[in-house]
Amino acid sequence: MKDIMGLIYTGENDARLRELTVTRAIAAMPVAGRYRVIDFLVSSMVNAGMKNIGVITQKNYHSLMDHLGGEKEWDLHGKNNGLHILPPFLTRENVGLYPGLLDALRSNNNFFVRSKQEIVVLSNSNIIYNARLDELVQFYQDTNADITLLYTKDPTMKRDEYGTYLQLDKSGNVTDMEVQPTHPGYDNVYMQVLVARRELIKDLVDKAVSHGQHSMDRDVLMRLVQDKSAKVNAYEYKGKCWMIDSVQSYFKFNMDILDPKMRKGIFREDMPVFTKVRDEMPACYGDEATTINSLVADGCLVDGTVENSILFRGVKIAAGAHVKNCIIMQDAQVHEGAYIENCILDKQAVIKRNSKLIGPEAYPIVIGKDVVI
Amino acid sequence: MLRKKTCVAMLLAGGQGSRLGVLTQKVAKPAIPYGGKYRIIDFPLSNCTNSGIDTVGVLTQYQPLELNAYIGSGAPWDLDISNGGVFVLPPYQKGKSGEWYRGTANAIYQNIAFIEQYNPDYVLILSGDHIYKMDYNAMLNYHIRHGADATIAVREVPWDEASRFGIMNTDSEDRIIEFEEKPKNPKSNKASMGVYIFTWSKLRQYLENDEGDKKSNNDFGKNIIPNMLADKQVLVAYSFNGYWKDVGTIESLWEANMDLLETPMPIDMHDKRWRIYAKNPGMAPHYIAKGATVHDTLITEGCEVYGNVNHSILFAGVIIEEGAKVESSVIMPGSVIKRGAVVQRAIVAMNGVVGPGAFVGEETGNIAVVGPGMTVPAGKHIPAGDQVDENYEFDK
Repeated sequence: MKDIMGLIYTGENDARLRELTVTRAIAAMPVAGRYRVIDFLVSSMVNAGMKNIGVITQKNYHSLMDHLGGEKEWDLHGKNNGLHILPPFLTRENVGLYPGLLDALRSNNNFFVRSKQEIVVLSNSNIIYNARLDELVQFYQDTNADITLLYTKDPTMKRDEYGTYLQLDKSGNVTDMEVQPTHPGYDNVYMQVLVARRELIKDLVDKAVSHGQHSMDRDVLMRLVQDKSAKVNAYEYKGKCWMIDSVQSYFKFNMDILDPKMRKGIFREDMPVFTKVRDEMPACYGDEATTINSLVADGCLVDGTVENSILFRGVKIAAGAHVKNCIIMQDAQVHEGAYIENCILDKQAVIKRNSKLIGPEAYPIVIGKDVVI
Repeated sequence: MLRKKTCVAMLLAGGQGSRLGVLTQKVAKPAIPYGGKYRIIDFPLSNCTNSGIDTVGVLTQYQPLELNAYIGSGAPWDLDISNGGVFVLPPYQKGKSGEWYRGTANAIYQNIAFIEQYNPDYVLILSGDHIYKMDYNAMLNYHIRHGADATIAVREVPWDEASRFGIMNTDSEDRIIEFEEKPKNPKSNKASMGVYIFTWSKLRQYLENDEGDKKSNNDFGKNIIPNMLADKQVLVAYSFNGYWKDVGTIESLWEANMDLLETPMPIDMHDKRWRIYAKNPGMAPHYIAKGATVHDTLITEGCEVYGNVNHSILFAGVIIEEGAKVESSVIMPGSVIKRGAVVQRAIVAMNGVVGPGAFVGEETGNIAVVGPGMTVPAGKHIPAGDQVDENYEFDK
């Protein structure tokens, strides 16, 4: 497994995540009480033995750089390889915002050339799952494929007008693809993770970009499948996965993992999820605290009622405050007598005494970073 | 060529801590878990980091494996640097001879070569026995200002307890004029904290002389300090008033943990200006289920609570099953309290298991202890003050 490199692209469309992604990429979104979306993917790669991982960033990459910069937490701090943040290249051709994945890859050609590994696992960064990527690579090698795509049959991963869907034959070879169809016709959802030889990807990207093309799925993969000019097959990921592309799907992931069974699928002892450490005290529960079905991170002070919620590090819930179905990020506070339901509080947000905020279940209220209500 | 350091710290972590019974049967005292996510050694190490002391020798001897693994390369305390850092120093063979550490002073004597690498002006001697936050740099400045040969940190203890300690009698300028070990009629209530700063050239001299004395115990308190005093060297007392808790007995370890549940906390662990660093277990935030009750308690990452927890401390990855009850107890990492079990006034050490319906400890009385990795079978009773180890006989 030492001959594999990872390359993560973090420039997904995040408009439907509203204020949550004003200052950060989807990959840097805080989830599950102390993690960021990208932690699951980077950890999967590290657990599969990859030691050279590049993260291509687009805009608002400060949070991501700050989070991943301390390579030690992921064991990616060695002399050889490591975790490389690849900010956007401003050149004559590229004004900073990559029109597509191909442009992002082409701009980072240097990284491809400098890397020594034979195989690359290329991935998007807005899906949360915990996969045995080494098994994916094994399948790719065993079947002598040119490119292997990771896919899921999970129906919650389908989206109208978005995503790539695969038609497969009995051996797993891809016989057709739909890219961003109005309604997906196939049940196999491509998870935006592929395995191929590094040199092959480099050449394909070169050729496509020099012909004015931008989309990996449409211009490269689909063409290879239609031309039958390469062996493209697919490997099924059988576990649970979540696409984070809207406030609702972000909310749903966090609420889903309140279920211990769901958590076991994501937090596995044999495949730990690494993240940046903050050296907090354990959480402190007061005499009047009532906590029901909730995840609470270190450093929290819980004196009120917390129900079906996730409290990130350092959150303070005062006595007499009541939070229900909420996601409350780092250092936010809910003061005495306040009641909030179906809310997402970004970092350091404050809900003052006796305030009431009830969001509709299907459309949680987002309170931005540092906002005081 | 290593660069010169002003001050090198030497942390004595070799003792057995035998009064901690089953807790230290296989683990050195400084590696004992404390406060929900720490180990005792986190306090002197973090104090060093926060005081700007970046070169620390940790002298190990007794059962060092877990301690060594915990310290690793020193990353959690920012001590994994290229010039300096934390070093584990076990006894070693020198040519044809080599021996165990014979006493606290002998341990330092055997590591003169380590210290000399950094050519320090001063050496700070610490131990891994107490919970406290202290700025060693302030103590060092005090030592330098007084032109001292040795500075001994002291703390005022209640007069009726003074006879249990090494007591320093000082003059009006804090110069130590007399040192009495456990005096029957104490003349002062300033107790030695076992934290010393020496001017290295002086200390080295006394260590070498002491080594030549066959009758010596090779101990700082019994030999080095009294010898320096007798020779009228400049010894001064440095007063420390902060929280300082000895965790050398089961009772005191339990009390020190319970202290963290006081409001306000007698040692401010939330103070970001003086953080206590620790190796983080890296687990998900803990989970409190519907039907569980948690009051007046500290819980850290990885725990799953389905039962009732009151006035307790749960370390990483602890599981409290439905119907289980934990009261005034310290539950160390990885332990499981099963359905219907009741744990009160107890310490359950790392990876301990309390079986379904078992009772550990009582509402009053001495602290019961379930040793590391031990299992209390279903339905059994462990009375107050009992310690469960491999040889324990479970009756009722």
